[in-house]
Amino acid sequence: MKRSLLLAALVLVSHSVVAKDWDKIRFATEGAYPPFNSTAPDGSVQGFDVDIGNALCAEMKAECTWVKQEWDGMIPALMSRKFDAISASMSITAERKKKVDFTDKYYATPLALVAKKGSPLRPELASLKGKRIGVQRGTVADNFAGHFWADHGVDLVRYAKQEEVYLDLGAGRIDATWVDALEADGGFLTKPAGAEYDFAGSQVFGRNAEEKAVIGEGVGIAIRKRDADLRDKLNTALKAIRANGTYDEIRKKYFPHDIYGE
Amino acid sequence: MLHGYSSSLLDGAWLTLQVAVLSLVLALVLGLAGASAKLSRSRVLRAPAVLYTTVVRGIPDLVMMLLVFYGGQIGINQITDRLGWDYVDINPFAAGVATLGFIFGAYFTETFRGAFLAVPAGQLEAGYAYGMSRWQVFRRILFPQMLRHALPGLGNNWQVMQKSTALVSIIGLSDLTWLADQAGRSTHQPFLFYAVVCAFYLAMTAASGVLFRSLERRYSVGVRRAAA
Repeated sequence: MKRSLLLAALVLVSHSVVAKDWDKIRFATEGAYPPFNSTAPDGSVQGFDVDIGNALCAEMKAECTWVKQEWDGMIPALMSRKFDAISASMSITAERKKKVDFTDKYYATPLALVAKKGSPLRPELASLKGKRIGVQRGTVADNFAGHFWADHGVDLVRYAKQEEVYLDLGAGRIDATWVDALEADGGFLTKPAGAEYDFAGSQVFGRNAEEKAVIGEGVGIAIRKRDADLRDKLNTALKAIRANGTYDEIRKKYFPHDIYGE
Repeated sequence: MLHGYSSSLLDGAWLTLQVAVLSLVLALVLGLAGASAKLSRSRVLRAPAVLYTTVVRGIPDLVMMLLVFYGGQIGINQITDRLGWDYVDINPFAAGVATLGFIFGAYFTETFRGAFLAVPAGQLEAGYAYGMSRWQVFRRILFPQMLRHALPGLGNNWQVMQKSTALVSIIGLSDLTWLADQAGRSTHQPFLFYAVVCAFYLAMTAASGVLFRSLERRYSVGVRRAAA
């Protein structure tokens, strides 16, 4: 009886036809990771990830719609076909590649340590031993710190959102945060809350092969493994907007320096 | 004020209210049905009801939400793929309401069960002795007295349930908490927006407190408090 009621409720569903020729693509982003993606007062999404997605769609002459999705449910929702592609500053990592496929990178950023101005801390194991370092759970920074530091005496504190890491850094509960350098620059250091803080030590792209393997190949658009045709189309479009200057125009809107990497 | 996000927050508050009220209705129906099944003499009715309250109350709400929405969708996809049908989408609003109602129906089952047991059997027997039918006994004698015992527990569960609506954001519904979170992070003023969320939930729970107190008074006529 109860089960049939639940089923009846679930049958309130809407049908939608999946176009196999990809003239309609449903993109997802988080809408809470400025300047890459954020939510405008009218509820729409904006930012670098969104502009790149729209430029790719224009290049492919496809009609694109945007869906906002909570970060933790991002990959499950892609797998269950709630949308077709994720453009949400998702780093290409070996772990994620087990579940989903990625396009070529559309940007790559280094990791960096952020602490009080003049802090002697450096992003090296010897310097961080016994310190409390905050990271956003499930990010490349988290993987890196978990892999190289957590088992060697660094006290790693994981948060659901980067904004929460900054709040705790401001409250003095952690000594530093290990984070995507561009995120920290745009989302914290240039804001009033981050006025007392700065990068501690140099930014890290991967100082040896082992670190490079964990940091990964940059940030790409995630798609389901079965949609190899969509991946190829997106890659072709990405090459085209890199070549015709559209990419650089978008990048200049948000960042003064190149963020594509080598 | 609120950097232009107030109208989007209002939409979120409206959605939160809708999810809360519709889940409450579903949970009340499931709770009454579950309690009746648990108290019935038939084992065929009792067994699934016991399984329902045991399993549902034992699984975290968040896990249940993910299982129904993503697990259910993947299951449906496999079936439609095999049959060669188009993609069938589970509507997040329906899934959110169904899951919350399903979860809280299990708690309401226990609340109602206790309340049914609190009505003295002699009252029902007196009803039958007057020649009332089973339905008449239920409507005139059992239900009103049962409700008096159930209301404090229902009010409590309802408050917990209102706050649990924030879970629907994980399945992509733009409820108040998620919208406020996004606005807070997009403007780098999280506490301003968290404060708005707190005020809304507090207003909602305070208003239902008033409502439940008047309901309790209404269903307590005929029972007088002992003088202190």
